[in-house]
Amino acid sequence: MRVGIPHAGNIYIPFRTLFRELGTELVVPPPNNQRALDLGVKYAPEGVCIPFKLTLGNLIEACELGADTVLQAGGFGICRLSYYAKTQKEILHDLGYDAEMLTFDVSQNKLRGILQLIKHVSDNAPWSKVIPAFRFGLAKVAAVDDIEKIVHKMRAVELEKGTANRIYREAITAIDEVADHGTLKRVVKDYSEKLYQISRNPDADSLKVGIVGEIFVVLDPFSNLDLEVELGKLGVEVKRAIFFSRWTKFSLFLNPLGVDEWKKVHEAAMPYLKRDVGGDGWESVGEKVFHAHQYDGIVHVAPFTCMPEVVAQNIMPSTKEDIPVLTLLCDEQTAKPGMLTRLEAFVDMLNFRRKRIGNLKPGVIK
Amino acid sequence: MKTYLGIDVGSLTTKLALLDQDNRLLTAVYLRTQGKPVAMIQEGLEQIRDQMPYGADICGVATTGSARYLAGVVTDADLVKNEITSQAFGAIHYVPDAQTVIEIGGQDSKIIIIRDGVVIDFGMNTVCAAGTGSFLDHQASRLNINIEDFGQQALQSKTPVRIAGRCTVFAESDMIHKQQMGHKTDDILYGLCQALVRNFINNVALGKEILPPVVFQGGVAFNAGIVKAFEESLSTQVIVPPHHEVLGAIGVALVAREEIEASGNMTKFRGFSISQANYHTSSFECKACPNVCEIAQLSLDGKVLARWGGRCDLWERASTG
Repeated sequence: MRVGIPHAGNIYIPFRTLFRELGTELVVPPPNNQRALDLGVKYAPEGVCIPFKLTLGNLIEACELGADTVLQAGGFGICRLSYYAKTQKEILHDLGYDAEMLTFDVSQNKLRGILQLIKHVSDNAPWSKVIPAFRFGLAKVAAVDDIEKIVHKMRAVELEKGTANRIYREAITAIDEVADHGTLKRVVKDYSEKLYQISRNPDADSLKVGIVGEIFVVLDPFSNLDLEVELGKLGVEVKRAIFFSRWTKFSLFLNPLGVDEWKKVHEAAMPYLKRDVGGDGWESVGEKVFHAHQYDGIVHVAPFTCMPEVVAQNIMPSTKEDIPVLTLLCDEQTAKPGMLTRLEAFVDMLNFRRKRIGNLKPGVIK
Repeated sequence: MKTYLGIDVGSLTTKLALLDQDNRLLTAVYLRTQGKPVAMIQEGLEQIRDQMPYGADICGVATTGSARYLAGVVTDADLVKNEITSQAFGAIHYVPDAQTVIEIGGQDSKIIIIRDGVVIDFGMNTVCAAGTGSFLDHQASRLNINIEDFGQQALQSKTPVRIAGRCTVFAESDMIHKQQMGHKTDDILYGLCQALVRNFINNVALGKEILPPVVFQGGVAFNAGIVKAFEESLSTQVIVPPHHEVLGAIGVALVAREEIEASGNMTKFRGFSISQANYHTSSFECKACPNVCEIAQLSLDGKVLARWGGRCDLWERASTG
């Protein structure tokens, strides 16, 4: 079995680890790039969202590289993700790729479903092999996220722009390659120290901007046009709620302490939106309300034509928790200059706002 | 005399404004970009030099507009600022209590919401250029009307016709339809003004609280028909400030003065000699990865000054090193 996967942020790292541990061949398509997007745009329905187009491009590229089985997320949610696997299978079939489509359905079978799927693709490996491999994969998810959290801070204050990003790329490669828990811990520690040692601007008092929105475009720098890097260049510390480690924790019930942060977020959204609207729309509203007193502003990213996020987009500006929100819609037509103009103006606005609020009510913004 | 120069290079027009240290406008230049931003910056600088008073000393230069990075490299500007902040500074300079700014330029339109002299919200047109200067330009030339006379002629209308303004393509076919039905040109023109204002209010200004004083600036504010249509739609007076067409350049010059005075730095401005310099722009495809980015580069006398346009900073770093 040669299993191809689509990209979503750095998710290929835990997958590569898992498959290496289990001895199943994995086909990781080239990182998200213009060709993958062009393929997706060409063969996907025109009005579908960018995660569909990009992951379709990835799966086509994986089939070109010889994958005979492909993996895609599925579920019975309200958003279009439920149709991804079935539609993409048909499209691949029409293109002459008769790959078997396997879906991991997170909304129904949770952890058990994922583990059974892993067992299946590993040619029925024993549980004594599957479970440690899965746990090592999760450890890598956590490692990547720990590094990213430091990078978010350092990009804003580094003296020489681009340094944190360079170390980040090295760290990601190193995490991808390590083969045991001990080395992984050491790699994370070494790179964390390296990042903290970057020379900083001594008077930097970074703005804090929360990034909320649809999980794929939040985590995929190719579709959000390097939003986090650009904010870092403008001296902004990115505060992101969405991480794969957090998602696996709550979506798969891998939450040992039983603290459900999502519940808090949903409660915060309640006065404005009382139910799940699919995708991450409910969470977007909740995150805005929940963090209104901790952040200077919110950047809301969503795929163009994403219904759940359109609902969120229209609610967010009118909550009584008054904090500026900038919505950026991502699709293959989105151009970087337009995005930069908006980001620069938004950051100027937040700086003026902080000066004013800081003078009126000291301590409101931390 | 200390002076500060603001340069606003837009899609259709290039604007330069020179202010003295008391923020008074000394001279301004308004040119058509004609697809040649670098040449127009050089031309503009030459005109500023010819017009500026004796003894004026340039202490700060800042650029804005969609070609702000290019203009920043060409002049070695002290500051590169986005056009929303620049326009807001310009508006507040002439109308200190402004609460709403409408700015319509060649390719984009924006609304800026100001409270107590500070920007609190803004919006820009996203996917569509309906209602911007280039569309009005195009329609005027199709009807064989001078763009300068468009507004006055629209004001002659007694019974404006209704034009679909959501999209320029539909607006144009609707206008042709109305013209073939025998409606008067004046009525079609004012109908178009109303359609564009409707489009602006429903899209760019969607969900924004528009409070007076409303300031209207940018090249399209020359069009008296659009001004009247805004006043009718908003039921309030719309202020078109003096020098509204160069307010972005004035605004960014104000920002430059503030920053330079706060930092005490000397200007990095290359000097007026660059209006004669031999700039050269070119582009190539980067083959380092499957993204195949189009990299643009600007060189002066054969030496590369800057490269940009890539998804990563590979070429940007290569040019500064």
